[in-house]
Amino acid sequence: MKQIIAEFKNIRKEFPGVIALKGFDVNLYEKEIVGLVGENGAGKSTLMKIMTGIYQPDGGEFLLRGKSVSMRGPLDAIERGIGMVFQEGSILPNLSVAENIFLCHEKEFSRLGIISEEAMNKKAQEIINQHGLEIQATDLCGSLSPAQRQMVEISRLLWLSDLYNHENPILILDEPTTVLLEREITKLFENLKIIKAKATIIFISHRLEEIIELSDRIIVLKDGDFVTDMPQKEASTTKIEQLMVGRDLATGYYRVNEQIEPEEEVVLKVQGLAINSMLEPISFELRKGEILALTGLVGSGKEELVKCLSGSMIPSQGKIFRNDKEINIRQPKHAIENTIGYIPIDRRVEGLAIDLDIAENINMLVYERLKKHKLINRKKERANALHWMDVVKVKASSHQMKCGNLSGGNQQKVVLGKWLSAETEILIVDHPTRGIDVGAKDEIYHHIRNLAKQGRSMIIMCDTLEEDIGLCNRMLILKDGKFVKELECPPNAKPTPADIIKSIV
Amino acid sequence: MYKDVKSKKYVVKQVVTQLKRLPAIAYSLLMLGIFILIFSIGSNSFLNIYNIKTIGTSASILLAVAIGQVFAITTGGIDLSVGGIMSLVSVVLMSTFDKIGMLAYVLSILVGLIAGYINGVINARLKIPSFITTLGTNGIFISVAYMISAKPLSAPQSAYKIMDFINGSCLGFNNLMLIGAVIFVFFYMVQKYTTTGRLIHLLGSNEKMSWLSGVDVGKIRILAFTLSGAGAGLAGVMLGSNLYSGYPTLGSVYILNSIASVVIGGTAMTGGSGGVLNTLVGVLVMSVIQNGMNIIGIDVYAQQTFLGVLVILAVAISFDRSKLSVVK
Repeated sequence: MKQIIAEFKNIRKEFPGVIALKGFDVNLYEKEIVGLVGENGAGKSTLMKIMTGIYQPDGGEFLLRGKSVSMRGPLDAIERGIGMVFQEGSILPNLSVAENIFLCHEKEFSRLGIISEEAMNKKAQEIINQHGLEIQATDLCGSLSPAQRQMVEISRLLWLSDLYNHENPILILDEPTTVLLEREITKLFENLKIIKAKATIIFISHRLEEIIELSDRIIVLKDGDFVTDMPQKEASTTKIEQLMVGRDLATGYYRVNEQIEPEEEVVLKVQGLAINSMLEPISFELRKGEILALTGLVGSGKEELVKCLSGSMIPSQGKIFRNDKEINIRQPKHAIENTIGYIPIDRRVEGLAIDLDIAENINMLVYERLKKHKLINRKKERANALHWMDVVKVKASSHQMKCGNLSGGNQQKVVLGKWLSAETEILIVDHPTRGIDVGAKDEIYHHIRNLAKQGRSMIIMCDTLEEDIGLCNRMLILKDGKFVKELECPPNAKPTPADIIKSIV
Repeated sequence: MYKDVKSKKYVVKQVVTQLKRLPAIAYSLLMLGIFILIFSIGSNSFLNIYNIKTIGTSASILLAVAIGQVFAITTGGIDLSVGGIMSLVSVVLMSTFDKIGMLAYVLSILVGLIAGYINGVINARLKIPSFITTLGTNGIFISVAYMISAKPLSAPQSAYKIMDFINGSCLGFNNLMLIGAVIFVFFYMVQKYTTTGRLIHLLGSNEKMSWLSGVDVGKIRILAFTLSGAGAGLAGVMLGSNLYSGYPTLGSVYILNSIASVVIGGTAMTGGSGGVLNTLVGVLVMSVIQNGMNIIGIDVYAQQTFLGVLVILAVAISFDRSKLSVVK
């Protein structure tokens, strides 16, 4: 039996209106990789934030190496051998690799108060070589790939735990793979398996296949409570999904059985649209009620194409027709005037005002419609918000709840509600289920299908190829800024990812 | 299982979280109450009708600037030119009244409005941070006021009638207070019940999202600064009429006092929170403090020190800093 390194005892945490952690026990052992899964709002992040001292528990104890500790903050956590790599990353892009690794600990390299950059760079190079990184210590972190940055961060945490003489540091990785490419993920996993020999790793991800592949043990949380933990060999995606959601998932993934044949009417036509050095001329049509997937790697030009359609980028040539009428989209306002809405990948930054309440977010585009005697009417405002909250099934205690306190899935639904309230007919959905848990994903699929049935058209770019294939009627594949090919994806004859992957890479 | 639920520490924590949940305005109101209590104990003339009217008069003028200012601050910006606008407006009023009579009032308020509009255009269209923009225009407005008249101007005889009226009273209320109340209601309505007001709030909360959602960010910004200019213009007219004079440094103290009032009211400098109602409370706190210090006889030179301490203290209590990880 491995030694216990850390344990939570009856740990509790409350936030206004929600109990984030209901009071449960969890143990962590030495030299293991623990997969932590649960829907958004299950309490994963809260638990990790208590470990790193960002939150203080309202009740219960956290024991580290047998002693009860109350973490005062991330720095305190690091000094006690607990480090976290955040989803967004916390590397400073304008500093070099060495400066980032030794940030706040430069004094280790100072003599008489003067820091020796040479010594710092030398030591940093040693550290990064150790982890098989092919970069220079003097490189600016801004020029590194996300994968490399992540490794720099991991290296930093490991070095710090050495510095503070901790035998078995705890490393927390919060959804590290969302920003990585397939081969980078493989590389990361190799590294993590090596690191495991002297550390405990907590791995959080929504991709269950990854969790099962990497973890020795998987802990499942649900609604702020501990459900179970299981060794790797007993785990399977379906089993975990059921435990996470606590109910059977809808039959037919991606709700393929609800897929409909689009109407003949062309609602959007793109003709020879191009962006200098990023996208070569591309032409396509979008029909009423159609779901069109844009597929390709980062850099394929799909992101830029979508930006041109939503107005945040101006194409260098080409025409866009809305219902056979040529339109000119120079900024988002113009897209919206033509009832084209954009649901961004980064909800918290681009999709919502998270400090404002649900009603304000849903109503923002339609205040003119909610007026009585030329003034905004409270009743109409409330009614509109409640109506759309009901349509998209936002789970919240009231329409005046702050969006920042909602789970990812509910936030996405609020964004959707906003666009539906504004009567948009074409929706561009950038990663509809990014960072959303299994149960809520299915609800989002359900909404997408429903919208199509109502005659709304969608252009989607998904997290995974499977999701693209599963959801769409038709798929456009792009590669290196060029259109490669078009594929039909009817419900009974969906192509497999293997068929497509060749065209993408 | 939850044996620690009833422990003292837990209860204290619960109380603290409940207190934290109170809106910022509750703290400002509490502060107002405390100061009123202190000053009325300190001097029995503090709460007499005459003094309350004095407070009301100075509060109305500060209110007009501050509820304009709060729109600029809600967008995440700041308007440092309100002092310059007030001064310029007072000079315009005094120098034109003889020629155009009552139209001078319309013209003066219009000058304030246009000054604010210019701020907005520079800020939104040329994309110059509002701090710099209004720092620059404040100087320009004062300079223009000097060019119109370097010497302080007194109100012409012909204006006495209207100014006497403004300084008069009706049904036991100072007319300036009534004017302040009307201005308050107007700005409150703009904030709560118009699309512009709502979008200013939204913009301050998340500008990028607002832009991506098709909000004309530039236009909203310009409108916010125009409202700020209008507030300052009205305040300039009120102050000029109150003093029967106009001069290029008349409004200087109102720059910082208006910002302090907004912040004491619990509106965050980062934008997106607070508003006109909060600012009313902030203005009352400021006015009570300034008046109360005079009444209980705090040395004039020491007053600024007290005020400075109180502003910082007020912000420490009322401002929701839990959201900020970095304080700039």
